[in-house]
Amino acid sequence: MSTHAATPKKALSLGLKHLVYLVIAFIFVLPLWWAIVSSLRPNSAIFADIFPFTPKALLPTPPTFEAYAGVFERGFGQIIANTMLVALVTMVAGLVVNGAAGFAFAMFDFKGKKIVLSAIIISFMLPFEAIALPLYTVTQQLGWLDNIAALIVPSVANGLAVFLFYQFFSQVPKDYAEAARLDGVSWLNILMRIYVPLSLPTCISAALLLFIFQWEAFLWPLLAMPSQQFKVIQVGMAAFQQQYQTIWNQLFAVSVITALIPIALLMPLQRYYVQGLAGAGIKG
Amino acid sequence: MSRSRTPVLLIAALLAPALIGLVVFRLYPVGLAISDSLFNMVRGQQIFVGLDNYLSLLTDRTFWKSMQVTLWFNLLINPIQIALALGLALLYVQNFKGVTLYRVLFLIPIGVSLPTAVIIWRIMLTQDGLVNGLVGIAGVPAQPWLTSESLALYSIIAIATWKGISYWMIFIIGGLQTIAPEIYDAARIDGVKSWQRLIFITIPLLRPTLLFVLVADVTINFLLFAPIFMLTQGGPADSTNVLMYEAYKSGFIFGDMGRAMAIIVVVVAILLVIVGLQFKLLSNREARS
Repeated sequence: MSTHAATPKKALSLGLKHLVYLVIAFIFVLPLWWAIVSSLRPNSAIFADIFPFTPKALLPTPPTFEAYAGVFERGFGQIIANTMLVALVTMVAGLVVNGAAGFAFAMFDFKGKKIVLSAIIISFMLPFEAIALPLYTVTQQLGWLDNIAALIVPSVANGLAVFLFYQFFSQVPKDYAEAARLDGVSWLNILMRIYVPLSLPTCISAALLLFIFQWEAFLWPLLAMPSQQFKVIQVGMAAFQQQYQTIWNQLFAVSVITALIPIALLMPLQRYYVQGLAGAGIKG
Repeated sequence: MSRSRTPVLLIAALLAPALIGLVVFRLYPVGLAISDSLFNMVRGQQIFVGLDNYLSLLTDRTFWKSMQVTLWFNLLINPIQIALALGLALLYVQNFKGVTLYRVLFLIPIGVSLPTAVIIWRIMLTQDGLVNGLVGIAGVPAQPWLTSESLALYSIIAIATWKGISYWMIFIIGGLQTIAPEIYDAARIDGVKSWQRLIFITIPLLRPTLLFVLVADVTINFLLFAPIFMLTQGGPADSTNVLMYEAYKSGFIFGDMGRAMAIIVVVVAILLVIVGLQFKLLSNREARS
């Protein structure tokens, strides 16, 4: 029923809308896209077609995988495996430790609960960087320098993850637990049989959080592993950058691998990640 | 009755690992930073020097220059990031055909770690890089983005903003979802224009979320380290030498842990003051309205 005058106007505003979104999406995608394209070029052709700029600069012609082969020859396979190990162990331990704490805060009332809970919330407002330098001294005292424990153990307890679980378990009706208690089910069974399966979405948010935290860790592994026998990805990449400033195609290849692993995790699970973080922001 | 059933041992067992972890690896380091800042290492021995490390910062030109850089950097980057994250969140929550694809693309920088972003942008910003190629289309001559005293800090702001705003956007989306659509419908019927809806409805109702994002964003940017370490090492001519990097340099390059810890304590103290002020200013206004 729309009149003829309204239709072109509508089309124009729709076109304008897409233009705005396209420009922004372009800015977000461009660096990663250029990195992917450049990682598929021979090193001598990285800056081809830029001066003067032609759209060919954004296409790999012809694509070659030599940069990726080179990166793995430099031992980045091992570095990726190291980082995976650190991130996965932290993730699993973190789910158990922070989930248990969140459950306790949500289910039980005890003296000093409010104070402890607010201390935990404050602790996640204080980023790791703030305490990285003194944490170095703590690690030294524990004798953990250059030990993989230094990378994992301090990152397991995570205030934000505790808070996510606390928030979730508080919303579960207490009747479930009380009914089960009356039937003589033990608390541990209640936790494992009722609450853990219910909390699957929160587990996914918290797991992503812990995994990405470790995957992106930079300052702490730099300090805690002074001899760099055991390298993790961000530090390995930065060291590679400092040593070989001009092997651009391999630098890009490492960057692409480093970015694509968390992106591959986030894409299918983004709903959980967004909901988890967004919820924490509202209550936090 | 429920009190008698409270399983104390179980609570303790559930809480202990997380609490011990947070105490040993969060709280204790803060205390240690304060105590270490009162000592100096002299020939391998720790010597108590009281407030000397702090007093010498007072007359330390490098420290004050670094303080100036840190404050200027934060004065710029935080408002920019929050304004852009808000704009992005408003675009994200729109509903129209094809928006899903844009949403996914908006989230890409979250998967790109800061060091990765730094490496990619460093090559994009070199003299013959893609950015100079693109500004060349507009006839702008190639710029030394990372090696000029007048541009390096702003290039770092741009890189950190590219990497950061999608993350802050997520929190703002959460806030937007709590605003009842009826409020907008009522406003629309009353003929309130869309920019008025933004200023008089959306932003006031988002205040708690924006406060959270502001505090968290300031905290992260105040302690920003990786881009400076990887790109400029504080240079050129100390123009990007933020306090966090100055502390690292002091402790791990020059081996002066006392000075490093004193700087960290000052940084965290300033941060607490800023965060306290933000809470006070923003929550007061909320109480009044």
